[in-house]
Amino acid sequence: MRLPDWAWGVACVWLRYFAVFRKSIVYYAVTTFMEPVLYLLSFGVGVASMIGKVETEGAVLSYRSFVFSGIVAQTLLFQGFYEGAFGAFVRMYYQRVFQAIATTPITLSEVLWGEIVWGATKATVAAEVVALLGVATGDFAPASPLLLLPVCFVSALLFSGLGLLSAAHAKNIEQLSYPQYLFVFPMFMFCGVFFPVDKLPHAFRVAAWVLPLTSVTSLVRTLTLGLPLRAGALPILAVWACGLVALSHRAMIRRLVK
Amino acid sequence: MTSSNDPPLRVVHLTKRYRLERGGELEAVKDVSFDVARGECVGLLGPNGAGKSTAIHCITGFYPASEGQVFVAGHDVWREPKRARQELGVCTQEDTLDSDFDVTDQLVRHGTYFRLPWKVAEERAARLVARFGLSDKAHDPIESLSGGLRRRLQVARALVSEPKVLVLDEPTTGLDPDARRALWDILKEARKRGAAILLSTHYMEEAERLCDRIALLDKGRLLDLDTPSQLVEKHVGRAEVEEEVRPGVVWKRAPNLEDVFLKLAGQRLGEEAA
Repeated sequence: MRLPDWAWGVACVWLRYFAVFRKSIVYYAVTTFMEPVLYLLSFGVGVASMIGKVETEGAVLSYRSFVFSGIVAQTLLFQGFYEGAFGAFVRMYYQRVFQAIATTPITLSEVLWGEIVWGATKATVAAEVVALLGVATGDFAPASPLLLLPVCFVSALLFSGLGLLSAAHAKNIEQLSYPQYLFVFPMFMFCGVFFPVDKLPHAFRVAAWVLPLTSVTSLVRTLTLGLPLRAGALPILAVWACGLVALSHRAMIRRLVK
Repeated sequence: MTSSNDPPLRVVHLTKRYRLERGGELEAVKDVSFDVARGECVGLLGPNGAGKSTAIHCITGFYPASEGQVFVAGHDVWREPKRARQELGVCTQEDTLDSDFDVTDQLVRHGTYFRLPWKVAEERAARLVARFGLSDKAHDPIESLSGGLRRRLQVARALVSEPKVLVLDEPTTGLDPDARRALWDILKEARKRGAAILLSTHYMEEAERLCDRIALLDKGRLLDLDTPSQLVEKHVGRAEVEEEVRPGVVWKRAPNLEDVFLKLAGQRLGEEAA
């Protein structure tokens, strides 16, 4: 079967990244999986032993299960953003991988799609590993990893797009700290990973729901812990995902093509 | 529609304008037209800032032309980028070697971007590695290569798809004389194979030696396009030229492209474009 030209171009770029990943599998395993595992141990075992139960969305849950599902969302955020921002910046600015591939029959647009899809793939795999750990510890339903897959992938596209958009606007690698500190870390702290958003004061709660991670966290909890589906979560996720992917693609082309 | 009579590379009234970061607009390439025939080598000669690299970015389809068109093997490089670039090998001025792969893997992977089957790409990579004198470095990481070897590898990579058109942007800049000569021999071979070569350079000797015709470029404009000897004949004649090589010492020598450039542009090739 011959893939359409555009799909083949995107696949080639994805395979290039996968080949690099495979060559340095130990490095990537450590940098991809250690962080969520450390959060799980610290909050899921340490903090959970002090808190015990948490009440949210009309349900009472163990804090460990609550934070476990939050870490799935946090993994999507960090893995998607860091690959899209720092990984893409290095490939675009220092290695000039985008420019090298775009002189072949693979277009720059396909290179960028390959970049975003690769970032999303890596983040999805990392989040699914956390979900499997949740199943293994009995915190999540056995079907959770499968049910999570589409939500994880779309969320990962969103955060990968956010990373690529940041890379497209950064003049140097240090400038990637701005979106990291002004957008990623606040989401990590206030979008329901460690405590329910409904415990925040009204204005903070509204602000948290505008940010994409709150919808991702909410959807992950629906699919792993059976909490009710919040009506706004899917549309908010869809709008952010479409918007960031399109904007990042456009911004990177504007940066590279005069 | 493409026909067998189409020259492998055709540049038609190419103009490129872009916005400057500090404001305003720059017309980097102004109404440039030329063809490169099969087996021919055309040089783009001009000082730094003359518009050579911008022209090459447009010719390879990385930048869209503001006006005009570029055809590679009969395909419009911007409207049919895949078909056009299938026939195009490019060595950019910047080092774009993929440092995540070693010397051989680099060539094989690049070949697959042209839809070459893995085995074919491996065979070609092995041939190029040997021809470019990289056999003992075949599985070395890119970072371990000297500047000259990296440049050689970048030209080898441009040849892996056996392109009909080879575009080389200052391929010998920074190379020592031996490495430069080795590269010249390889370009001669590519021409014998029938490749049309567009070579940008600011080395007059390189242009005179390698190119059948030379396009003199200054401030984005094509000053003239002809064979090296015709350019000299037309613009400065055959009379010997006096040149002060150091204070008080004047040499007489045959006129060359440097003199042509000085006459047409009012500046020397080594100077930055104003």
